[in-house]
Amino acid sequence: MKFQKKSIVASLMLSAAIVGLAGCSTSDSSSKAESEQQDVLTVAWPRDVAEMNPHVYNPSQMFAQTMVYEPLVGYGEDGKLVPMLAKSWDISKDGKTYTFHLRSDAKFSDGSELTADVVKRNFDEVLRQTTENGTHAWLTVLTKIKTVNVVDDATLKMTLTEPYYATLQELAVARPVRILGDAGFPKDDDTSKGVKEAVGTGPWVLKDYKADDYAIYERNEHYWGTKPDVKEIKVKVIPDAETTAMALEKGDIDLIIGEGAVSTETFKELEKDDNLETQISEPYATRQLVMNTTRETLSDVRVREALAMSFDKATMVDSVTAGMEETADHVLATNMPYTKDVAAQKAAYDPKKAATLLDEAGWKLNASGTAREKDGKPLEIEMMYVSADTIQKTMAEAMQSEWAAIGIKVNLVSEELANQVKRFKGDDFDINLFSNYGTPYDPHTFVNIVASEGFGYHTTMASYDKQQALNKEIKRALTSTDEKKRQALYTDILTQIQEQYSIVPISYINKIAVYQHDVEGLQFAPNRDEHSFTGIKLK
Amino acid sequence: MRTFIKQHKLLTFYSVLVLLLFVVTLLAPWLAPNNPTTVNLALKLQGPSAQYPLGTDHLGRCVLSRLLIGMQASLGSAAFIFVCALSIGLMAGTIAGYFGGWIDYVLMRICETMMAFPNLLLVIGLVGMFGPGLKQVVLALILVQWVYYARIFRGMVLSLKTENYVKVARINGSSSFKIIRKHIVPNIMPPLLVMSTLEMGWSIMNISSMSFLGLGVQAPTPEWGMMILEGKSFVRTNIELMLYPGLCIMLVVIIFNLLGESLASLFGVKKQALKGKEGL
Repeated sequence: MKFQKKSIVASLMLSAAIVGLAGCSTSDSSSKAESEQQDVLTVAWPRDVAEMNPHVYNPSQMFAQTMVYEPLVGYGEDGKLVPMLAKSWDISKDGKTYTFHLRSDAKFSDGSELTADVVKRNFDEVLRQTTENGTHAWLTVLTKIKTVNVVDDATLKMTLTEPYYATLQELAVARPVRILGDAGFPKDDDTSKGVKEAVGTGPWVLKDYKADDYAIYERNEHYWGTKPDVKEIKVKVIPDAETTAMALEKGDIDLIIGEGAVSTETFKELEKDDNLETQISEPYATRQLVMNTTRETLSDVRVREALAMSFDKATMVDSVTAGMEETADHVLATNMPYTKDVAAQKAAYDPKKAATLLDEAGWKLNASGTAREKDGKPLEIEMMYVSADTIQKTMAEAMQSEWAAIGIKVNLVSEELANQVKRFKGDDFDINLFSNYGTPYDPHTFVNIVASEGFGYHTTMASYDKQQALNKEIKRALTSTDEKKRQALYTDILTQIQEQYSIVPISYINKIAVYQHDVEGLQFAPNRDEHSFTGIKLK
Repeated sequence: MRTFIKQHKLLTFYSVLVLLLFVVTLLAPWLAPNNPTTVNLALKLQGPSAQYPLGTDHLGRCVLSRLLIGMQASLGSAAFIFVCALSIGLMAGTIAGYFGGWIDYVLMRICETMMAFPNLLLVIGLVGMFGPGLKQVVLALILVQWVYYARIFRGMVLSLKTENYVKVARINGSSSFKIIRKHIVPNIMPPLLVMSTLEMGWSIMNISSMSFLGLGVQAPTPEWGMMILEGKSFVRTNIELMLYPGLCIMLVVIIFNLLGESLASLFGVKKQALKGKEGL
């Protein structure tokens, strides 16, 4: 009877798993000891932090890398650049030479000094990896650096092949331009194979680590900035969002932080809990409908405009995110640099007008009155979204239903993230439910990929009669050395992009934080990829 | 007939239940009180009412209607997978068992290679190659399933081949095809029936698992596994959204298993004969 019992047991298990999410918070006996130990902040994170190497990508977690390693320049509020390891910098008139004056009080966690030599060693290695196998070529500045020279112990000079205004913004990103100490370099300096020791200048040092279980970071006693108040941070790996929420309620963890760290419904519930505090951040990026205008159906701006105005965006966003996300009418959130003068996209909810637009475009309702056709061809569009993202899925279904009401048939396809990106890169999509990179990458990365082939964004402008002129304008904005001119160019570029209705903003992605009462001073980092723990105090 | 029912009360009961399941599946579009894909955000997460007997989900869609229509994807596809996998398996197994030699060798090595991988992993891998969607999942499940049938039928054919009546038939000059048709296939029918009912549960679980992972049925088509996925975010506030589809899967799988059990005792099929196949 073994065979059959197994199936029954399996089916029981499945249903038990549904109910049993409650039971599987991964608590351990040490939780009590932790609560007694006042100066340990326990943070939940869904994935293992992985290798502490400033020059590598996934599975290394960016927030963890940025706890240990620092850049020359940091990304501050509203995109203002702030001094980090470089206390100041000069830019030559032609915009091609950057001179960085390093901080004299910065030390690595092993006590060694920050020198221009070690910074150069980092740049040399990252540039070597970029030229040899293109690993970091996505970061434009790395393809434009001609030389990096040591002037003296505390001065570093970087020359570019052509002026690129976003140089400093791009040096602020989470990886791979953060600085590793001398002791961390392996024999042949090839950090892509791993680092010897995780030595950085950041406020935290990795103390203990168990894969897929936890990582403990200890305060860096050599830190140059304001030293953190908390002695240790324990990052506990809990993959499931609901389990994380329950662990927080039980008191096993102190803080949940991140984008969609818990589901919207759970967040609402936790907000009601008197023992917990919640915070929602400013926007970091924009959820967007990205339309491929090389497709015949979507090449007509009237069809795109009709799509944009035929779903009740405000109600949908409010309902799906339970008020957690704000409705977006700008392709790029206005807290990003150079975006403040751009007017909102004019696509107010008006299904009747949308229907008229479709009629004008030649897509008439067929005999049954439920679908639209043009020359016998049905109006049918495919939209892809990430299979694991429930907010995307719910939004997609809500929009699909409203589009169906005016006769637009949209087929939903859920893709795994890797596959979605692959299809997007290959221009193999109709509509992609996507989002821009956000801070600190935008607006320059966004306009750059709109203007260059290789990533699906360029297809949004394919049907625009002024595409060539727009691309030239984007190129000018990126290389211009005049702040005012650049601002005017950006306003014009973003306005043109919005008027094409091929990128339709939906809502702003933000981070949420839920934490125990005794956690004080939590602030969201302006950089999307970082979490700031330095200001936190435990009562 | 009446005595049969009297003697096999449980078997009859389970058979009626299974029959009922199929009838409900077929009639689902007429039984569903509402359109299962109509979104109405103003009516989301409502409790049971006359209009919505089991309430509404997070998009204001009728849960009962979604459960009913969802049955078509689950039960219908499971039946289809079973028929296809069985046909291929029966053919391959019988040929391999009866003729032996290099055909047997090649077929069995293929089977062993496929059986070396965990089922679910193989299905996920195949769906990754084919792309997400119900059709792709069904195809992947068929490809994974048939090898088990093939192994079992090969074993049965091998043992039947040594039976005296088969030997006699062969001495009498019957063709291989005739022997397979007249003597082999009828004899593997009873275990086949038992397996079929047991395998239905396996297929339903797998389709639901794939949809739960977002790889199976594509939104907004309702399916039980996907409904569990959708309900997962609401486990604190509206646990019934997960509970209903979960219970449906459980009930259906159990009914098929119980029927399989009764059939097994009726035919006196020893489960060991089927041990080439793991339950999950």
